Amino acid sequence: MARLLKLNVFRYNPQDPKSVPHLQTYVLDETDNMTMFIALNRVREEQDPGLQFDFCCRAGICGSCAMVINGRPSLACHTKTKDLPDEITLLPLPVFKLIGDLSVDTGVWFRAMYDKVESWIHTRKEFDPKALEERMDNAVAEQIYELERCIECGCCVAACGTARLRDDFMGAAALNRVARFVVDPRDTRTDKEYFEIIGNDTGIFGCMGLLACEDVCPKDLPLQNQLGYLRRKMGITALKSLFSRK
Amino acid sequence: MSSILAMHVAQPSRRDAYLDWLQMLSGAALVLFMWSHMILVSSVIIGPGAMNAIAGFFERTYMAQIGGPLVFAAFLFHFVLAARKVPFRAEKQGVAWAHAKMMHHRDTWLWIVQVVTAMVILIMGAIHMWVVLTSLPISAEKSAARIQGGWWLLFYLVLLPMVELHVSIGFYRIGVKWGVIKADARSGAKKAENILFGVFMVIGLVTLVRFMFLAI
Amino acid sequence: MQTHYSDLLVIGAGLSGERIAVEAAQAGFGVTVLSIVPARRSHSSAAQGGMQAALGNCAMGKDDCPDVHFLDTVKGSDWGADQEVARMFVDTAPIEMRRLAYWGVPWNRVVPGKSFYFKGGEKFEKVEPEDRAGLITARSFGGTAKWRTCYTSDGTGHAVMCTMDNRCAQLGIDVRDRCEAIALIHDGQTCFGAIVRSLRSGELSAYLARATAVCTGGFGRIYKATTNAVICDGAGHIIALDTGAVPVGNPEAIQFHPTGIVPTDILVTEGCRGDGGTLLDVNQDRFMQIYEPEKAELASRDVVSRRMTEHMRKGLGVKSAYGDHLWLDIRHLGDKHISTKLREVDEICKYFLGIDARTQLIPVRPTQHYTMSGIRTDKDGAAYGLTGLFSAGEAACWDMHGFNRLGGNSLAETVVAGGIIGAKIAEFLGGHEVKFDTTLVRQAGAQAEERIKAIVSGTNGHEDVYKVRGALQEALMDGCFVFRNGPDLEKCIDTLHEVYERSGRVGLRSNGLGANPELAVALKIRGMVKLGLCIAYGALARTESRGSHTREDYPERNDRDWLTRTLAYWPDGAEKPVLKYEPSSPVYELPPGDRGYGGGKIIPADPASLTLIKKEVKG
Ligand SMILES: Cc1cc2nc3c(=O)[nH]c(=O)nc-3n(C[C@H](O)[C@H](O)[C@H](O)COP(=O)(O)OP(=O)(O)OC[C@H]3O[C@@H](n4cnc5c(N)ncnc54)[C@H](O)[C@@H]3O)c2cc1C
Ligand code: HEM
Ligand code: HEM
Ligand code: SF4
Ligand code: F3S
Ligand code: FES
Repeated sequence: MARLLKLNVFRYNPQDPKSVPHLQTYVLDETDNMTMFIALNRVREEQDPGLQFDFCCRAGICGSCAMVINGRPSLACHTKTKDLPDEITLLPLPVFKLIGDLSVDTGVWFRAMYDKVESWIHTRKEFDPKALEERMDNAVAEQIYELERCIECGCCVAACGTARLRDDFMGAAALNRVARFVVDPRDTRTDKEYFEIIGNDTGIFGCMGLLACEDVCPKDLPLQNQLGYLRRKMGITALKSLFSRK
Repeated sequence: MSSILAMHVAQPSRRDAYLDWLQMLSGAALVLFMWSHMILVSSVIIGPGAMNAIAGFFERTYMAQIGGPLVFAAFLFHFVLAARKVPFRAEKQGVAWAHAKMMHHRDTWLWIVQVVTAMVILIMGAIHMWVVLTSLPISAEKSAARIQGGWWLLFYLVLLPMVELHVSIGFYRIGVKWGVIKADARSGAKKAENILFGVFMVIGLVTLVRFMFLAI
Repeated sequence: MQTHYSDLLVIGAGLSGERIAVEAAQAGFGVTVLSIVPARRSHSSAAQGGMQAALGNCAMGKDDCPDVHFLDTVKGSDWGADQEVARMFVDTAPIEMRRLAYWGVPWNRVVPGKSFYFKGGEKFEKVEPEDRAGLITARSFGGTAKWRTCYTSDGTGHAVMCTMDNRCAQLGIDVRDRCEAIALIHDGQTCFGAIVRSLRSGELSAYLARATAVCTGGFGRIYKATTNAVICDGAGHIIALDTGAVPVGNPEAIQFHPTGIVPTDILVTEGCRGDGGTLLDVNQDRFMQIYEPEKAELASRDVVSRRMTEHMRKGLGVKSAYGDHLWLDIRHLGDKHISTKLREVDEICKYFLGIDARTQLIPVRPTQHYTMSGIRTDKDGAAYGLTGLFSAGEAACWDMHGFNRLGGNSLAETVVAGGIIGAKIAEFLGGHEVKFDTTLVRQAGAQAEERIKAIVSGTNGHEDVYKVRGALQEALMDGCFVFRNGPDLEKCIDTLHEVYERSGRVGLRSNGLGANPELAVALKIRGMVKLGLCIAYGALARTESRGSHTREDYPERNDRDWLTRTLAYWPDGAEKPVLKYEPSSPVYELPPGDRGYGGGKIIPADPASLTLIKKEVKG
């Protein structure tokens, strides 16, 4: 039997002086294999054409559609309605700036992050178009890719209590980004240089080990292990300089 | 190149790293203390003689006289360090609370539990230590008298679970934060944490019962 | 209205757009890049399979070289490609892959020693050479003679996109997301930039530049069933077509992918078949080998899509609530392979179908996938019709793909073309000065504002934009899909004219304030229908079958009359496109011949009409 779904959706358009934040309820009949992508688009097309939300790939690979679904930050496009109760509450991700309704500004946040962690390979080598590529062990390549899989959906940041308490905390996505360069042999940055970026309470020492990041990450990135690894590495870097400094 | 640059740019502060180490170490030290403390106090289960012997040992070696205030200092030190992470303004507390409620997420709740138990421990632990340390030497009989007085029983019935929660969660969280407990070991570690909590609660309760029925 | 100025304005922050930006920024020019979504969310990141480049490192790619890649590409295009461009592409691709490695792409590498692979469901052994250990490796993809597709696990597009965006951040390039170009600023001769709507506030601004590059990707969303992201709705083509001066090349050349899942049309990578997955029908029997004895499942996309449709038309499809489909079987590849090499596929099955690909079959059917068609440019990437306007990537018809692009060639095109065209733009910028006419800019802005006002207030009518879009999508599915024929195309054109009419009467039902999504669609809908009409008219006119353009009533490839490229213009105020033609290729390094797969008769060209070039074969 097809269910009737009750969607309670956060509504607020900061660009409309008459708009006030509230939850609006839509009722929708469920269909086979329905995802939140299908559901929300139907609401927009059939009931409320002004409803704002973000989808792009609708295949769980671009990270556009993160929102809080019944309390959990998740990707709407790969959430199947059949896995949810009849009543579904949808809120925009916290931490990020609200654009309207379910849509938040992750783009600006992440671009600022790239600059903060210098999210690129640091090398002094020049590219030689005539030379063979530098060799790399396939296992290392796969290890890098494992961390490169982050789709910057922002779920881990929105789910992190620390990030909600202090807006200067980098969040797991940024720390994972650093870990990605740490394991990359092409990046010549030293532990000390990484320490300059993340060796404080806005970085790895701010993390309180709440692990919501690990638990909500839709791409199952190994955040817990990377955070632990970085804390040890940075902790040891600090101790080392305690002894080498004179 | 970076060393040349460093001459003209302020060195990055290592303060947060050191404080994090100290927070962890003070926590771990207190955990160790609490376990030794447990040995001392629950030795009464075996008999008042055992407890008195251990207490006497500490007394004779001046560990109680010196160690007591040291523990008190460590306690305050740990508090000051850990308090950096605790929201004290009502607005932030509201955020933390709303966040935990929204998330339905176990580890986030664990942290809230740790903060709340910490506040209780701060007050009750301080009172407890003050009382015990101002009436040295420790003896099974003195303790039993206190507890049989009634109010102290209630006091310990509150403090005991608070301490055991804070200790077992703190222990688990050190493991997680420093990457000793890896992702695939996490559910196992959680079980261990629960067992730890359970075992110490039972020992603690039995201890209290023993004190209640100890002939003075 | 705010005005921004830069040397180069790149519309689109996908791989092609950012690659151009990087090249121009490295040459010292100020670049602004605009995108609807944060750059890394661009649809380039959805490409899973990989990028073709003849590095020849892996065992199965031994003796590969740009010449072989060239043959594959031109044959794949069914001789629709511009061979000068194809040659430039294949020669540059290997260097570009290495450059990407240098910038940080974690390419999979050669692991020496024995390993297994599957082909047609059978297991084979290969031995990777010791001396190539650690060099960039490759996998197999449809329509290629060698294993040539460089990859990073199952997320090549994503990984390369990350690296390219990192490079942009490193160079300090101004990349702005949630900015949608809605019109080009031009005087009929020269392009001066674009009018841009903010998808944060809804405000309009003018972005002025000495050069403008349109890199907005494909326009699959004008079809109902498409693998494309929801933002791939042709905005870039529309603003180019709207100038009246710039043509869309080969609008009828649209590719359909054999394996979109049913019902959400999400693509499962060609890698599945490349790695040994098979296609099964309702009886769970393989069938591709009946039609294509040699290549079977590995024949090029258009061939496989056509054969699948043919087989389903015989009643051998699987019936479902969403129409007929077939099965893709990767069960025999095993747990390890599926959870590492085909991880994204595994996730798609789990998250969107709720099935386990290790034990269950995947429902698939042909789905719109790629637009070979696009803004026609010369080999330097300069658009026909307007000075200072460039285009690259899927948005462009540069034209190395002709009537069918090979898997792995388009992602490679984005970076290779981006590099080449970026350098050409830098050259252009070095010698091109413009005077910005403020009246012109203000006019363009005012015009856009007028349009918005009319749509918001419903001056022209109250047509529901989503319904109009639905009608467009249905019409194209009926008339311009895998199979085409005269009567259906004529019917399609009639319907589209009706839809076009309606699209002019669209009015909002919401208030249109801020980043209103209804308005975003409403601003594009007329242009989308125009694109649909270009496809239909182009397809009706082309009375032959070539590559993915298959006319049931004209099954043969007609090199005598149709070795040409369609150029569809939409002059100001016209009711339908004006079609012009140009030769497919200025020169023929590889004269038209048989592709070696796909079958079909060929009506040969008059050799005297072709400029053949001889290339000395080296070493
Ligand atoms: C599911 C899928 C899988 C694929 N797999 C492969 C593969 O394995 N190998 C392969 O070679 N090819 C593959 N392709 C094709 C290939 O991915 C694309 O052709 C290629 O990535 C296009 O890149 P692009 O830079 O041209 O455009 P895109 O990456 O699509 O970028 C378009 C950009 O333009 C922006 N934009 C659009 N309109 C506007 C506007 N009006 N104003 C401002 N900005 C705008 C967008 O925000 C975006 O940033 C695949 C395609 C799909 C759909
Ligand atoms: C016997 C007493 C105590 C013991 C054994 C103890 C033990 C611990 C341990 C092991 C940790 C984990 C350390 C870490 O995560 O680095 C911890 C954390 C913490 N402790 Fe205590 N503690 C005690 C008393 C207190 C008191 C009195 C407070 C008062 C405020 C307190 C507040 C906290 C807080 C807030 C944390 C969490 C810090 C974080 O997660 O970053 N503790 N404690
Ligand atoms: C040097 C410091 C300390 C000394 C000497 C000490 C000593 C004692 C003694 C003698 C008892 C028996 C009961 C009594 O006499 O009232 C006791 C019980 C107890 N103490 Fe302490 N204590 C110290 C610090 C602490 C701290 C820091 C905590 C926790 C915050 C704590 C928590 C408890 C609890 C919960 C009990 C009840 C034990 C049980 O039921 O097993 N103590 N302690
Ligand atoms: S780490 Fe995971 S949750 Fe965080 S942004 Fe990346 S993909 Fe999203
Ligand atoms: S949730 Fe936050 S506190 Fe650390 S472990 Fe994850 S970043
Ligand atoms: S829309 Fe791309 S991840 Fe959901």
